[in-house]
Amino acid sequence: MKIDVAHVAKLSRLRIPPEQLNQFEQQMQEIVNMVEDLPQPTVDNLSLRESDAMELRPDEVKPSLHRKLLLAGAPKKQAGCVVVPKTL
Amino acid sequence: MLYTKTAAELSSMLRQGQCSSAEIVREQYARIARVDGKVRAFLSLTEEQALKTAAELDGRRAGGEALAPLAGIPLGVKDNICTKDVATTCASRMLESFVPPYSATVMEKLEAAGAIPLGKLNLDEFAMGSSCENSYFQKTANPHDVTRVPGGSSGGSGAAVAAGMAPLSLGSDTGGSIRLPAAFCGVVGLKPTYGTVSRYGLVAFASSLDQIGPLGRSVADVAMLYAAICGGDDMDATSINREYPDFGRALKPDAKGKTIGIPKEYFGKGVDADVADAVMAAARALEGEGARLAEVSLPSTPYALNAYYIISSAEASSNLARFDGVKYGFRADEFEDLTDMYEQTRSQGFGQEVKRRIMLGTYVLSSGYYDAYYKRAKLLQQQMAEEFAGVFATCDCLLTPTSPTTAFKLGENLGSPTKMYAADVCTVTVNIAGLPALSVPCGRDGDGLPIGMQLIGPKFSEQTLLDVAHHYEQLTGGWNQLPEAL
Repeated sequence: MKIDVAHVAKLSRLRIPPEQLNQFEQQMQEIVNMVEDLPQPTVDNLSLRESDAMELRPDEVKPSLHRKLLLAGAPKKQAGCVVVPKTL
Repeated sequence: MLYTKTAAELSSMLRQGQCSSAEIVREQYARIARVDGKVRAFLSLTEEQALKTAAELDGRRAGGEALAPLAGIPLGVKDNICTKDVATTCASRMLESFVPPYSATVMEKLEAAGAIPLGKLNLDEFAMGSSCENSYFQKTANPHDVTRVPGGSSGGSGAAVAAGMAPLSLGSDTGGSIRLPAAFCGVVGLKPTYGTVSRYGLVAFASSLDQIGPLGRSVADVAMLYAAICGGDDMDATSINREYPDFGRALKPDAKGKTIGIPKEYFGKGVDADVADAVMAAARALEGEGARLAEVSLPSTPYALNAYYIISSAEASSNLARFDGVKYGFRADEFEDLTDMYEQTRSQGFGQEVKRRIMLGTYVLSSGYYDAYYKRAKLLQQQMAEEFAGVFATCDCLLTPTSPTTAFKLGENLGSPTKMYAADVCTVTVNIAGLPALSVPCGRDGDGLPIGMQLIGPKFSEQTLLDVAHHYEQLTGGWNQLPEAL
């Protein structure tokens, strides 16, 4: 199948510069051509095995990292909040 | 020279008072200073803290305290494992200035055991790669031939141990990223059963496939490090609570009576003759020691690489969505609005291979393509797990090459992503099925480059794999020889 690189880049929140687009398209098509070679499935039923089930911990509140530590790496912050361009 | 010793030897010397942790750590940093200019394994060093920890441990030992086997032993840590207050970059511009506010569970366990981190090791960016050439910062070289790759993505981890810069290292393995560098660099590397080592604090690439694991220059060293990091963890719901043996203490040479399956699909076209011959010679050596060889078949093997790249890229596209310039990491300088900020940040912050994988993952999950790609890959995954279970009904373990070739030249495969992906053809099946696999050296090719063989077992069979490998190790005299070129 032909991959629409510009569309997929948009979905991925990526932007491919025009001068790289040709090479990117060739490489992505090469990869898609490789991975689409899969056998016809012999079953149609994806099942979760009992051995795959996760063991969840009890739903109890425990101490966690302080907001100040978590915000320490934020590129821009103010009044205990992360600052980003406004959306409205 | 202390830097030539294995971790087990150093541990014994420390217990007997033949050396101090401080001496070991100083010698390791001196070794790093001498050779890392050529190898470029380390991204950062934590010398001050390492020497401080070594002095504290020496004091405790002098005071009569009995310490754990790993106490005072230095190691390198792949730079996608979070270390509190120490930069963790994932070899990416996106996390160039990221300093985690917490340490991974494996690092907390190692701290409690008294192991001493020397610094953070280079990798392919976000663990995506097979050669360590996708790092934003530097390309690591193979210590056996510095014009060649060390393998990836844990290239720094393999190279540091092979070059004598650390007796042990931690890597991570999603499709072969511990085993391939172990094979290319001539050291031992273990990809544990999925769920036996906590992923909390490992920067996620493909959450259903990733595992942290040990590298060393002997089977006993790898067993000792694995024993220290394995175990269930409340912070990782995919980790498994069970009784884990002390793998190091229980280690014994034990190939006699074992049935070793040789899957024919791993020895076909594309596997170098030197590699196939060396692996089969090792198989026959084990047969001479009382193991039984059996040819088996895993018919889905030819499709494994395709299924792996679909599944891992799908998960990666989701996991790397968090890198958006908002809460941490790189943010672009100029943008018009929020969407533009995301696109500029991610386009400038990620390298080419990471972008390719994210885009492949987005594509295979997108509307109209999910059934043709992702669902079919997941069905194949289920089928492969059943095929492995079938062969393990009659075999204790399987023996295959770790990689179809030995280490290739730096730059050789950069022009073609799919040519690079082919290096993983022997390793990805293991991650898809969630199984353990151990790579050990089994000879050299015509150019003197290390060849690795892979032992694959059913889930939780690490002791069997280590014991069979240890038996082979004793036949060969071991692999603790540093490259003469360095």
